[in-house]
Amino acid sequence: MADRPVARSAIAPAPPVAVRDGWEVSTRRASGALRLADRSPLAKVLVRADPDGPFADRIGVATGTARRTPANALAASARPGEWLLMGPPGSAGNLADDLGAPDDGELVTVLDVTHGRALMRLTGVRADGVLAKVCGVDLSDRAMPDGSAAGTSVARVATDIVRDDVAGVPSYLLHCERSSGQHLFASLLDAGREFGIDVDGYANS
Amino acid sequence: MFRIPCPYCGPRDATEFRHQGESRNRPDPRTVTRGQWRAYLYEKDNVAGWTRENWYHGVGCRRFISVERNTVTNETRPAAAAAGAVDPVLPGAEAGAPDADSTRR
Ligand SMILES: [Zn+2]
Repeated sequence: MADRPVARSAIAPAPPVAVRDGWEVSTRRASGALRLADRSPLAKVLVRADPDGPFADRIGVATGTARRTPANALAASARPGEWLLMGPPGSAGNLADDLGAPDDGELVTVLDVTHGRALMRLTGVRADGVLAKVCGVDLSDRAMPDGSAAGTSVARVATDIVRDDVAGVPSYLLHCERSSGQHLFASLLDAGREFGIDVDGYANS
Repeated sequence: MFRIPCPYCGPRDATEFRHQGESRNRPDPRTVTRGQWRAYLYEKDNVAGWTRENWYHGVGCRRFISVERNTVTNETRPAAAAAGAVDPVLPGAEAGAPDADSTRR
């Protein structure tokens, strides 16, 4: 059972391919300093609530920001009243449970969108240069520092960008509707070619 | 190409938005006459200069916003500068209605 996939990403895995956490994934390792990797197997939970209500206070992530939770999940809010929680594969139920129940009368939506969204990670000191070719937001450290989130258009795909640096190296998580995932991945590879972009394989964060 | 100052997302390219037309006060559908409703829908001021408009930020905050735009120069500025500013209200999305928010998504 362990090597039989139960899920496939919208993004075709670059060979070699193996099964990890139930997902058919690439185990390729990038050689370059600029890397693009599919992260669709990460659990994704979408939360909607009144941005000024008590549930929003409990989440504690302001619009336009992202923050690591104590359980090492990432909570990001690209627009008022909406949060995306991202965690290790298979953790969607825990992410939802950790939120707890809303107060009486507050309308809150918690939805597992793991298989409905594509998620990818672009990492490298030139990552902003790649994004700048296909996206109009200000990517400077002043406007988009580590721990910020923005909903925008990337390669003409409605995409949420979360800046989540890895060991001090600029890194961006990009998520979009599953049906646009392969196109966005290919567009970023195309935009990154002049910077020497390379496809990296599976990791669980 | 010009930029629109979104009150939720900051300045963004106009291509991220959909133009919703001049900002105007919607008559109460319970008391409006046919003539008033027609005027609300179709009779625009169409000024050459500064005007107040509604835009939909579809790929960003997914909110309807108001901004001021100079129709001659395409300069934009936040609508808060306008006197008597009124937030855009969607038909069927009246303040306090339980589904007011869901109709905007
Ligand atoms: Zn916006």
